[in-house]
Amino acid sequence: MAVADETSGGTRNQGSAPQAPRAAVIVGGNRIPFARTGGAYVKSSNQDMLTAALDGLIARFGLQDERIGEVAAGAVLKHSRDFNLTREAVLGSALSPETPAYDLQQACATGLETVIGLSNKIKLGQIDSAIAGGVDSASDAPIAVSEGLREILLDLNRAKTPVQKLKIIGRVRPKDLAPDAPNTGEPRTGLSMGEHQALTTAQWKITREAQDELSFNSHRNLAAAYERGFFDDLITPYRGLNRDSNMRADTTLEKLSSLKPVFGKNLGSEATMTAGNSTPLTDGASTVLLATAEWADAHGLPKLATVLDGEAAAVDFVHGKDGLLMAPVFAVPRLLARHGLTLEDIDFFEIHEAFAGTVLSTLAAWEDEDFGRTRLGLDGALGKVDRAKLNVNGSSLAAGHPFAATGGRIVASLAKMLHEKGSVDGRPARGLISVCAAGGQGVVALLEAA
Amino acid sequence: MTEPQPVVLGELPSLSKLYVNAATTAARRRVMGTSAGERLPVVSHEVRNVLADVGNLTAYQHLVGETASDILPAGYVHALAFPVSMSVMNRDDFPLPLLGMIHLRNHAEQHAPILFSEPLDIRSWAENLAGHRAGTQLDVMAEVRSASSGDLLWRGVSTYLAKGVFLPGIDKPGNSNGSPGSSDFSPPDPTALWQLGLDAGRNYATVSGDFNPIHLSVLSAKALGLRGSIAHGMYLASRALADVGAVKSDSFAWDVTFEAPVFLPARVALDIATVHSGSGGWERSDYVAWNPRSGRRHFTGTVSALS
Repeated sequence: MAVADETSGGTRNQGSAPQAPRAAVIVGGNRIPFARTGGAYVKSSNQDMLTAALDGLIARFGLQDERIGEVAAGAVLKHSRDFNLTREAVLGSALSPETPAYDLQQACATGLETVIGLSNKIKLGQIDSAIAGGVDSASDAPIAVSEGLREILLDLNRAKTPVQKLKIIGRVRPKDLAPDAPNTGEPRTGLSMGEHQALTTAQWKITREAQDELSFNSHRNLAAAYERGFFDDLITPYRGLNRDSNMRADTTLEKLSSLKPVFGKNLGSEATMTAGNSTPLTDGASTVLLATAEWADAHGLPKLATVLDGEAAAVDFVHGKDGLLMAPVFAVPRLLARHGLTLEDIDFFEIHEAFAGTVLSTLAAWEDEDFGRTRLGLDGALGKVDRAKLNVNGSSLAAGHPFAATGGRIVASLAKMLHEKGSVDGRPARGLISVCAAGGQGVVALLEAA
Repeated sequence: MTEPQPVVLGELPSLSKLYVNAATTAARRRVMGTSAGERLPVVSHEVRNVLADVGNLTAYQHLVGETASDILPAGYVHALAFPVSMSVMNRDDFPLPLLGMIHLRNHAEQHAPILFSEPLDIRSWAENLAGHRAGTQLDVMAEVRSASSGDLLWRGVSTYLAKGVFLPGIDKPGNSNGSPGSSDFSPPDPTALWQLGLDAGRNYATVSGDFNPIHLSVLSAKALGLRGSIAHGMYLASRALADVGAVKSDSFAWDVTFEAPVFLPARVALDIATVHSGSGGWERSDYVAWNPRSGRRHFTGTVSALS
């Protein structure tokens, strides 16, 4: 047996595309419209929204009482009571209660990572069906007690005598009573995500006009996609919302250019990042149904696309070597190389718009000859992304970005686009997803029309 | 019987005003020695185009353990219809005292899921005035229809007992209205244990609008002759319905029979048993709740598929 294994193993090089025994197919997806924080979902919890997205998926694909191989989802802003969030959502849904589930958290890459992880399980033959997803609520965010009060409360719990308890209570100081709310600051730098991006935006000399134009296109493309019914089988209304509430179908470049900068105001260069070219805090949830082709066929369900591969990367942003949100810049060349592809072989690019500056800095890095040679180890620039293929149905700037829900939104939409496109030059249409995440991380994935 | 004559109310009556009115009516009847007669009013009350308040719906869903979905839980529809039913029982010609009535049984039929955004026509009337070994009972009926299509979406029958009230001409029945076999009850192993705080009554009053004093505080309950405040029956039944969960079909019947009241605070043991049909589909879920210390049964019920 060892010999046989060695032989078959020897036919592939390390780091080359593994020959998966079977494909992981994207059957479809469902999400609830994304709502600006404090809006339609103000009182809905992560569990409520994830369950709503799941129930819409179940209804769309007739999964009532179905035992799914595994469900994985997550949230970035998570209450301590939500330790088993995904399993609780499954129990509250119409799926069979015998469906196992686990939580995953990789900041804004959570949703995409659940898709990749579950696809791998399907490819390995461990499961035949899976639901990936993510949810986040900035409205119903957890607020913790201060670190001082937390220690006092824990000590109080351990105290045995009334005298001990009184002594401990006496330690409470007014400052301990201030609650500890979550923020988007990086723990190691103290800079918010927007301030980090402002550094990168300035470094790559991205203009205000280019950022506003990207944001304008995002709103225009998303609105057009809604108009032609693209989202009809991707979205279930929730709490009276039918469309993403952040979308401004009537926005203009003039309006966007009139907004005041909010990030990077203390840098040497001009501040270019506004509320219009940055994503707002958003509430929402998304889900994606994955399966083997056989499972989809047996259930009479569509096969939109296959999850070919995924790649994660991380950068040393703490010491300023790279920008906080630039990890996908490194993940994409590695993923493409593994499949012998270039940017020109891609038919749809889905680059998550954390900020317009993030997308444009990413494109600039890939177009930079010197960066390609010195940092990516290539002969020159990685290449140019055809802007006509970029975020063609809008992205996070228009739709909003409920952190962990963004991956599922992109995967389901891209799978549908690939399915509609079918083949290009006799080969299946290809799509590339790139999602940046806090902590200097990035996750990217390659999809192909099924 | 004669078809009840509809009286269309302009809006949902305020439950707090109805309770105040019920108290003054009771006092007036006691002082004047008058009664409203021995027959149920042959009218129905109706409120049209009722819309659920989404904030209130979410609070209700979270309180009873439902996920905040866009579908109204059957117990929420009951709460929505309750003011209309109360207004019927609050009529001057209603023969029984509203305050102090005991909820014996509740039957609800959910014929189709109701979206929170759907305008509803709610109609309620009373019928089946009958003797009970401990007083006089009646059924309060409620129907909830889609305001746009007129389709019947939900139907409820709440059976109440006016304890100690005996109307002339209505005979006491035999033993048939007693709770059968409650003394033989031997508790099964529980599938769940609820911890209900002293505030369980107030919390449900806040989301349902049912501010009956017997649920609000020890003092207000004692004023009405109880030894303490008790949980709302429909709160308990709604939690059981939430525990049955998503297994139930889109259309179902939901029954509950109340026995020993749950004095707050309380621990309540619950057992839910699912029954599958021959083809393996869900047929019904039976539930029973009891006091884990005394073993006294609080309520029993069933959620079953409507064919």
